[in-house]
Order: sequence, then structure tokens, then C-alpha cells
Amino acid sequence: MLSRRTLAGLAGAASLPRFAIAQADNRPVITVAVQKIAITNTLDLLREQSNVGERTSTLINERLIDLDWFNGITQVPGLAQSWRRIDEATVELSLRRGVKFHNGDEFTAEDVAFSFSRTRMFGDTRPDNGQSLPVSSAYLIGAGSKELPAEIPPVARRAFPALRGVEIVDRYTVRFVNATPDVTLEGRIAANGSEINSRRGYDETDSWLAYARKPVGTGPYKVREFRPDTMLILDAHDEYWGGRPPIRTLRFVEVPEVSSRVNGLLSGEYQFACDIPPDQIAEVQRHPGFEVVGGPILNIRFTDFDKSNVVLADPRIRQAFSHAIDRTAIIEALWSGRTTIPAGLQFDFYGDMKIADWRVPEFDQVRARELLRQAGYKGEAIPYRLLNNYYTNQVASAQILVEMWRQVGLNVELSMVENWTQVRDRSRPRGVRDWSGGAAFGDPVGGMLNTFGPNGAGQATGEWRNTEFDQLCVTIQTSTDRALRKKLFRRALEIAEREDPAYTVLHQNATFTAKRRDIAWRATPSFVMDFRSSNWGNAIRD
Amino acid sequence: MLRYLALRLARAALTIVLVVTFAFVVLRLSGDPALIIMSPEAPVEAIEAFRHAWGLDQPIWVQYLDYFRAIAHGDLGVSFRDGRPAIELVSERIPATLALTIPALMLKLGVGIPAGIHAALHRNSTSDRLVMAGAVAGFTVPSFVLGLLLVLLFSVQLGWLPSGGQESWRSMILPVITLGFGGAGVLARFTRSAMLEVLGQPYIRTASAKGVPWRQVVRGHALPNAAIPTVTVVGFMVGSLIAGAVVVESVFSWPGVGRLLVVAVSNRDLAVVQCILLLVASTMVASNLVVDLLYGVLDPRLRAGATAGAH
Repeated sequence: MLSRRTLAGLAGAASLPRFAIAQADNRPVITVAVQKIAITNTLDLLREQSNVGERTSTLINERLIDLDWFNGITQVPGLAQSWRRIDEATVELSLRRGVKFHNGDEFTAEDVAFSFSRTRMFGDTRPDNGQSLPVSSAYLIGAGSKELPAEIPPVARRAFPALRGVEIVDRYTVRFVNATPDVTLEGRIAANGSEINSRRGYDETDSWLAYARKPVGTGPYKVREFRPDTMLILDAHDEYWGGRPPIRTLRFVEVPEVSSRVNGLLSGEYQFACDIPPDQIAEVQRHPGFEVVGGPILNIRFTDFDKSNVVLADPRIRQAFSHAIDRTAIIEALWSGRTTIPAGLQFDFYGDMKIADWRVPEFDQVRARELLRQAGYKGEAIPYRLLNNYYTNQVASAQILVEMWRQVGLNVELSMVENWTQVRDRSRPRGVRDWSGGAAFGDPVGGMLNTFGPNGAGQATGEWRNTEFDQLCVTIQTSTDRALRKKLFRRALEIAEREDPAYTVLHQNATFTAKRRDIAWRATPSFVMDFRSSNWGNAIRD
Repeated sequence: MLRYLALRLARAALTIVLVVTFAFVVLRLSGDPALIIMSPEAPVEAIEAFRHAWGLDQPIWVQYLDYFRAIAHGDLGVSFRDGRPAIELVSERIPATLALTIPALMLKLGVGIPAGIHAALHRNSTSDRLVMAGAVAGFTVPSFVLGLLLVLLFSVQLGWLPSGGQESWRSMILPVITLGFGGAGVLARFTRSAMLEVLGQPYIRTASAKGVPWRQVVRGHALPNAAIPTVTVVGFMVGSLIAGAVVVESVFSWPGVGRLLVVAVSNRDLAVVQCILLLVASTMVASNLVVDLLYGVLDPRLRAGATAGAH
């Protein structure tokens, strides 16, 4: 028979280790206020094709090849320690050993093969026919099914149009085998949608939807709870291969109103407030304990032309649009000078594929007027359908643009619409509209050529097509001759931005995050938020 | 009386059908959920697959008939975004909304009606003017402005209360005050007007002239007669308990039905929007029905009239 005192002693002893552990874990709980956690209410980037989804995804799931956001967005080892080309269509990757998934399993080649399998990504699509779709299956997500939502295979196939499959060489080596030569295969492996998932984690979950809301990855944080449209709670994955995460619990809370995010930051409820518009930066920084970080990101805002409009069919009219824009004035007026004018619709991380001397059409009102005169423009109205600030500063930018165009004689009529269906509605004449574009990976194929090429959204909407441009896209995508590819990309830029404009670039997009000044943390040039130990506290303090 | 009730119920059912039909047509004609949910940059094949999977490629009248057929079987549809039954999603949010709107209703009733009575009984006094100034401020200051002002004062400056979220009971205080203040103002105005009208009636003067104590005149004659317009307003307030906090829920990041409605409308999550509208319309109609019946209880003349009409 145990005495009361003995029992009390035993209870005390049993509670000691746990108490000690709790005492030892003095890492902070951090709350990040965001406008939106996920558009589709899932954490799977194959479905969540959005900027906001990118923000949390990399904290949970990692890729074989990672991107170093702070050093020119270069490719660096992720879950693969190294990789090499076997031939023009095959890449072999050596996997990092000793990596643990959130469920405690070791990461192996099996998980890579599963992550790029038909079950997980491609469905019934074929590498040589990216258009085939299982549309006959009237599948409803959440019905307890493991079947992929109908839209995922085409998304996956656009990311890997010619991937034949992933071969397991041994437990720690895999090969990505393409059906055609592809110099961009490494870039695709490093891009959104190429996240590695635990095979067992997926198998043990009841439905695709349940897994997409609580994926099992290898990232520094694991999902504790995801309350759609409300909150995402992540806990530190202490066995993370990249070092113990610096935050014990990371909470993303959805706060739709900007003023509420700012107020919550100032009152101490949130440590970070994302999606801060430029006009709020001064207001936040008025308070000494807070600052706003961030700036240009991997995304460019541009005005898109509809060539099927009878007035815009003449390229000289579109050229006049481009020359009438004073981009510097827009950046100064609306962005407080905190973004830049890019060198066309291309990015630095294209590396040697970037056309370094390329420039957007210069601001030249005289030339714009001359082009309109040559084209015989008589002031016909050109429609401009506008969404209410889908993009930051969108309405204000549009009003400035219309006035700039009016100054050279262009008659552009603004009309507010509510959604993309109305923007793209073909039943009424379309003219110009707003759009933005990024790059899935560091090559023109992942950016402008993808957007305006034969399978891109620009042509799918019937707004623009150019036969020579289409031929260039095919050659650039399949050629392995880098010098030729670069030469052809220059030609593609000439066509799409100057000769027969598909669009005209406005400025680099930018995103800003307000935070407590005493927290040492860097913003990436993207929506990705890096909360690993390498981007926190002493690791980045001077 | 039965015929009266049947007529009211039929009218209520028609109202609900009209609301749901209007929402169905407007939502389907004003945006494609596939484009909104999947982003405009998604592959065309993916968007087509989404439309097919959800029956959005069918003619609108086919979709409409399917929808009503489903409702008749008690199926309010499945959310595009969530994949779960719409009624399940909405039901999850109702307690959070009621946690704000019921205390706010109590606040409206508890402050608005006594303030209105007090103002009427002290007409043209300083306290009457103060009450009315507060009431005018209550229903003219938009709730999002009031909410932000309260947050600036009590959260940012004083640090007493949370600025949003649903962390504890303290998170409820500011949204409840924001919701309650405007409604209390409305009720105060209505109650005051109704009381003043009744107080000017000959039967009040007669009662006073007969020597009935003033307190008894007010309780026994003025208040019951002044209650009808006030009950009408309260009926509307009860009817809007489920979706009456859209703006306040957004300002305070409160995960209730109002925020769900905003998100569902912007994503054209048709089943969820229609489910909410169906609930709101039903609540409003039910509330109005109860108010109609209460009129009869409060005013015997109306009851007699309805019965006479039935004959």
C-alpha cells in the first residue's frame, strides 16, 4: 500500500522531466497577420496556385532543389545534396540522408517517386500529350476520396510537360527522366508544385482534401491545425535537418482589413503584419518599435493588350500606349519609390539567359503622338476593364495611366468590373487590362514564354498571338543550345514588347511586411516567409 | 385565424424562393467560380475540368432545376472550396456569430428602449437632448468607423482589449459594443417617437385627468401602445442575428457567418452563399411572422380585425 506522501512524491517525480522540457523551450510563439492564408483553403501548391499559398508552403514542405532567396535566387541543395546531368533529358539527384518527415519517417527515394507519381500529381495525363484530362470523373473534393481533384493533373503537367517519370536508382538516388531534352528540368524541380510529401503520411490519410490541409513534409514547421479562412497553426519540427527552428509555435491569422492588421501589430497581438500597402508604410514607421520590410518581388505588373480589338489590331497604337507611360512617376507617386522598373518581362534569376541590355519602351510622348498619327487613330474609345485593387494600387495606377494616355491623344474608357470573368468577357469589345506575371523558375520558359506562348493564358483568352513568337517558344523550350536560346529569347522580347506588343511592362511588383523592429528577420523578394534559424535572430544580426 | 396564418406562411415561402432565385441568377451570371478559385493563370484545361466536375458547364436553367431538386431533398449543396456540405460549414460559424449578435441585441434592448422611454418622458430636457445626440451618433457613425475608433483607443492606446480574433471572452467586448451601439440608437429613436405619439393621445390625458398615478399611466397605457413600432424594429434585429455582423466580423477578424459570406461571395462559392441566404431569409421571415402575431397580442383591435377579416 502506498502512502499519500509516496504517491505525491511519485507524481512530482513524474512531472519533473516534462516541466524541465517546458522550461527549456523558451522559443517564442509568433503570430503573423495576413490578408489571406489560402485561396482554396488547402496547403497544396498544385491546387493553391496563388502568391499567398507560397507564403506558408515552404515552411511545411520542401523541394529537392531549394532557392537561395537572399543570393540572387540561385539554386541550392534542398532535400537533394547534389545533382548532375546524365543526358539532355535526364537529371540524377543524390538525396540528403537522415532527413525526417513530420511523422518521424526517414525521407527516401520512395517519397520522391511518390511525390511525382500519377497518384499524387499527373493522373491520367501523358508526358507527350499534356492536354489529356480525366474530365469525365465528376469528382468532388472532400467526398472521402483519394482521387486527385480534376484540375491538378493539368497544373502538374504544365509544370512538367514532358516528364516521363522518376526512377529510383537506390534508397538515396533518383533520376528525373524527361520525354524530350529540357535544359530547364532542374528549374522545374526547384519550382512551386515540386514539394516532397511523405508517402506513408498520404497513405494514412482518409482523403486528398484531408491531406492537403495537413500535409506531412520535411520542412521546419509541421501543421498542428488549419482552420480554413481563419488560422493556420504550425509547431516547430525539432528534428529538422536544417537546425532547430527558432520559433516554438508559428500562427498565421487571417485579418482581412489592413487597418486591423496594423492595429493588431501596434497593440502587440501580432509580431508580423503582411500585405501592407505602400501608403501605410509611413504610418507604421511613425511608431519607433516597428518597421516595414520587403520590396520588389519576383512578379511584374503590366498592361495587357487585346489584339482582336479593331483599334488595337494596329501595332502602332499599342506602341503608342507603351511610350505614353511615365513609369517613374507612377513608382514615385504610388510606391514611394520602393519598387523598380524591370528590364522587360524578365528577371535577374534567369542568370545568363537574361538579356541584360534590354529596356522597356522609353517614355516619349512625341513619339507616341506620331505613332497615333501614322496609324490614323481618330480617338475611338478603347475599353479598360478594371478590378477593384486586385493588385496593390491597381485603381490609382489605372487612373494615372488613363490620364497619361489621354495626354498623347488616346481615348481609354475605364469601367469597373467585379471579377476575372467580367474582365475577360468576349461578348463585349475588350481593349486593355491589368495583369501580372512572374517566373516559375530561372529561365524564360518559366516566365513570359509560358504566359504568352502557344499554351499560355495570353493566347487561351484570345488576346494575342504571333506566329513567329510561337515558333520561337517551341525552339527555346526544346533546344539545348544556350547561345541559340538566348538569341531567340531576345527576338521574342522584341516581338512581344516592341514590334507587335502583347503587353507593356509597368513596374516590378512589391510586397511589404510590417514587424516589430527588435525581431531580426529578413523578407525574401517573394511572398515566401523564411522562418528557419538561418533567417532569425543572431544568425542575421550584424 | 388559420387562414391568416396560412396566408402568412405562403407569403413567407414565396419570399424565400424569390431570394434564393435572385441570388442564384445574379451569382451565376456575374462570375465564374472556376476562374476565381483557380486563378486566371491556371491552365485552360484545369479550368474546364473544374467546371465539368461541378456541373458549371451545364445551362443555367439545368443548374437551377438541379439546385431546387436538391433542396427538396434537403441537400443544400457542397462548397467548391471546401468540398464539405455547405450547411455544415455555415452551421460551424453560427455559434461564433450568435456569440456577438445575441449580447449585442441585449445591449440594444437594454440601453435603447429605456433611453428612448426616458427621453420621451423628459421631452426637451437636457437628458433628452443628450440621449438623442447619442442615438443619432449611434446610427449615423458606420460600424467600421466606430470599430476602428474603439480599437485605436482600447487596444492600441490603452492596451486593455484585443483588437480582433477570437482568443478569449475579452475579444468579444469591442465587437459587441460596436454592434450594439448603432442598434441601441435606432431603438432609442423609435421608442421615443412612439412614446411621444402615445403620450399625446386623448386616452392618456383622460387617464391623468381621472387621477391615475402618472407611473401607472405610463406602464398601463403608454408602454403597451407604444410597443408596436418598437417590436417591429426589434423583429428586424432578431431576423438579422445570423448575418447582421458582416462588417463588424471583418473589422475584428471574427470567424462568423458574416465573414464566411464575404469570402463565399468573392469566391462565388455558390452553395455556401445560397445556404446562408436561405438561412437569413428564413430567419427574417420567421421573425416577421412572429412580429405579426405579436401585433395581435399587443393590440386586441388588430386581433379582432384579423378574425373579422377571416369571417
